[in-house]
Amino acid sequence: MALPMPTTMPLLAPIYLPGQEPLPPGTSDWEKQEMQTALKYQKYLGMAMESCPLKVTLSGGAGFALGGFFSLMSATFAYEDPLSRASTQLSTRAQTMFVFKEMGRNMWSSGKGFAKVGAIYSGVECCIEGYRAKNDITNAVSAGFLSGAILARSSGLKAAIGGGVAFAAFSGAIDLYLRKEPSE
Amino acid sequence: MSFLFGGGNRSVEGSVDPAKIEMAVAELDMITDVFNRLVNSCHTKCIASTPNNHRYVEGDLLKGESVCIDRCTAKFFEVNKKVGERMSAMGSAAQASGSFGR
Repeated sequence: MALPMPTTMPLLAPIYLPGQEPLPPGTSDWEKQEMQTALKYQKYLGMAMESCPLKVTLSGGAGFALGGFFSLMSATFAYEDPLSRASTQLSTRAQTMFVFKEMGRNMWSSGKGFAKVGAIYSGVECCIEGYRAKNDITNAVSAGFLSGAILARSSGLKAAIGGGVAFAAFSGAIDLYLRKEPSE
Repeated sequence: MSFLFGGGNRSVEGSVDPAKIEMAVAELDMITDVFNRLVNSCHTKCIASTPNNHRYVEGDLLKGESVCIDRCTAKFFEVNKKVGERMSAMGSAAQASGSFGR
């Protein structure tokens, strides 16, 4: 009686012992070892891609870029007062350098703010989802509430709760939109 | 094995024992059955609890789903082990007492 091979029972899971998966007939032992190490590193990479710290850094980086971009765009509305001391005493080149430095400073601080928001929200949501082991809308809403409260913690309790509620509503709305079924 | 005389004469060095093959087949069947039960119950619990109107959001496992599957498989094997221990204890008790009662 032959061992049941997967093709005779197509809907069952093919279980093989770890060293005996069916590989093409010419694979040497070194190739099998290489395949095993490649699979191991692939598994580690997959674990890293789904991990919370990577999500936090990616969200923080994206927030930083977004904040810098917004600040760059809003720097076009900043004007240099022609009657201020800087414009009379400094040369044109120095004024230009000053404008650019100011723009860089604003971009940096605005980027830091957005990065903080993004990182905190992403970290809290990842932790809540990892704890609950479920994927639904309450992750986004509670993560929004917590991160709104964290970001507004220095303005008192009522402001923190209000900020939390507002951020929760905002992030819940965005998550609802992202979860909507495509209209096809 | 076609060059051996008689169907049951398998005591030549290096040939396989049909009893061992039977055991291996039975063990493989059991392992496959356990695996399929595990896949079914953890899929029902973690991924698609409402199979009629479930929508797969993306192809990869979401973080909540992968955490749920880790926990589900750990619980499954834990319960499997406990049930196996309990049943083997019951079996040995029944054997020792000469299967009185239940």
